[in-house]
Amino acid sequence: MRWYPIPGVVAAIAVAICALPSLSCQKKEPLKIGWLSSLTGPLSTAAIAENRGVEFAVEEINEAGGINGQKIEIVTRDTAGDPTKAVNFAKELIFVDKVSAIIGPVNSGESLASIPVVAKEGIPNLIIGTLDELTDPVKYPRAFRAICTNSQWINAANDYALNVLKKSKIAIIADTSGYGTATAKAAAASLAKSGTTPVYTVLVDPNKTDLTDEMNKAKASGADVVMPWSASTGLLARLLNTRGDMGWNVPVVGHPVLMAAPIRPLLNKPDYLQNAFAAGYSSMTFDDSGKLPEATTKLRDKIRGRLGDGGEIGFSFWWVALGYDTVKLVEHAVKTAGSTEPAAIEKAFENTKNFPGVYATYSWGPGERNGYPAQAVVMNLAGSFKDGAYRAAPH
Amino acid sequence: MTVLVSGLASGALFAAAALIYNVMFSTSKVLSVATGHTAMLGGVFGAWFMSSLGLPPIVALLGSVATGAAFGFITDLVAIRRVLTRSDEHLWLLSTLALATMTQQAVALWWGTEPRPFPRLLPQGYSSGLADQKYWLPVAVALFLALGLELFYRQTLYGKLFMALSEDSFAARARGVPTGRLRELSYVMAGSMGGLAGFAAGQLTFAYFALGLTLSLNGFIALAAGGLGSNLGALVGGGALGMLNAVATYFIGGEYQNTVAVGLLMVVLLIKPEGLFGTKVARPV
Repeated sequence: MRWYPIPGVVAAIAVAICALPSLSCQKKEPLKIGWLSSLTGPLSTAAIAENRGVEFAVEEINEAGGINGQKIEIVTRDTAGDPTKAVNFAKELIFVDKVSAIIGPVNSGESLASIPVVAKEGIPNLIIGTLDELTDPVKYPRAFRAICTNSQWINAANDYALNVLKKSKIAIIADTSGYGTATAKAAAASLAKSGTTPVYTVLVDPNKTDLTDEMNKAKASGADVVMPWSASTGLLARLLNTRGDMGWNVPVVGHPVLMAAPIRPLLNKPDYLQNAFAAGYSSMTFDDSGKLPEATTKLRDKIRGRLGDGGEIGFSFWWVALGYDTVKLVEHAVKTAGSTEPAAIEKAFENTKNFPGVYATYSWGPGERNGYPAQAVVMNLAGSFKDGAYRAAPH
Repeated sequence: MTVLVSGLASGALFAAAALIYNVMFSTSKVLSVATGHTAMLGGVFGAWFMSSLGLPPIVALLGSVATGAAFGFITDLVAIRRVLTRSDEHLWLLSTLALATMTQQAVALWWGTEPRPFPRLLPQGYSSGLADQKYWLPVAVALFLALGLELFYRQTLYGKLFMALSEDSFAARARGVPTGRLRELSYVMAGSMGGLAGFAAGQLTFAYFALGLTLSLNGFIALAAGGLGSNLGALVGGGALGMLNAVATYFIGGEYQNTVAVGLLMVVLLIKPEGLFGTKVARPV
């Protein structure tokens, strides 16, 4: 009787089955995305909200079957707002966790430190810091910015002061942090292009307990607009309190944090937010009929139950939308690229035109690494917060 | 005038921190990095007692003082006692820094990292200008603390024991003075002073988790400039530092504020190393 090599046949069949993509023996490895976020520490408020958006997008994509059948695994590292930690965690994500892309860090200070490290290893990086220097198609070709730039905020504020309010005697009050110092210079340079020189410029410690001197000087210099450039809620609240206590109803036009939720309880009187305008986003601005864009409303309704008590949203919703969009952008790039090869993802991002997100409609190009459209930065009434969004400033 | 008044208010808080340093230093020869954190806790807990628990200001004040006292006790227990008994080196610098960092982190996690409002303590409108309570309460409390300490040192037995311990702890121990107990008491006292100062300055600083290190640093500069161990020096050093900061910011710009503060320290130390009101200690050889 002839002997049949049964074990060999079985093994051959098994190998053949495994080779069939649709009948894979082994589950596909998840697509790992690194997420550098300052979930604790002084910059955590925005990061926690962004994290809600990131987690929700991952859940949504995975429930729909993942990206090309591959589930997403988000690898979160809490940088606590510390640039050193951001660099160390970026290395860990690249070398230990072997992620395919990195989202974050969530602020410019950390990003300045981590972007060169990520760029050196050629990993695609979605940037959510606003400082203009963070992107460079030559130095950091795989770093793509999803948030607007600091210049876009500055230009929107300057344009509003000069062309809508028709005021040209501008007092710039910035804080002494790296961000405040650089932004004060950038704001003055942007005004100079319009032929305007600030009547008063001052840098103050973000923890300075009183701004009476600075506001008195601004008033004495004849300023008809005060433009604060600081992300410090304490400093901005003190500025508004001083203006209110002085009885000086000068318009305040500037940084988005002017309309952030933590400012309001710090004000001596709620109406001290009157006549204050902050750079915001069209996606988070109610139209004349009190409605938000459809994509914003849709996401807000879907995620509302997960944000606190399920009632009205008590913080700026654009943070959630931005976090949500970053994951969707990675999904779009990987799907378009058809692989997780860094070069292919770079190409996919580079060829992205008018990708419809919630926070914005994104476009990049071969020499363009800033994806946020300038026209989508609008001015909001600082005191108009409602359910995570704002009303447009009078125009 | 506004420059001087706002500078004086900040300076009063620095002076209070310097006085707290003095109390702890007198019994332990330790300059605790967590000094400013006692005031931070006073402000944060004061705001919490009033805003979240709805307690009246006087009860909140007592609560803040008690919180500061408890923190002073914990500082001695955790960061000082064992370090001093086991080592003559300056390991307390490390242990108090660790305690300060942990405290700040814990408050940040619980209270949040954004400044929060501190309620109005006295019925007064917001248009009082320079007469606003946010300026004068810290000044009044710093003066109260300095006078209280002077009376305590001169008029009470415990005060005299503190001074004895400060001058020669070995001799004091040899004469039966309970040095450990006195050090413990001094830390509780220093903590309660911090709680009171932080509560009084709450409207000026807001209830903010990161206030501690700023106060520890500026309090130390005020102390070194005024003279270690001198309460008058602490008051003058704190007031001068606060006003100098304000004047420098006004005339030169805020970016030079810290340079001026550290510059003041260096100038005083170069000209009078023992500080303005400090005393030279001759070491017998």
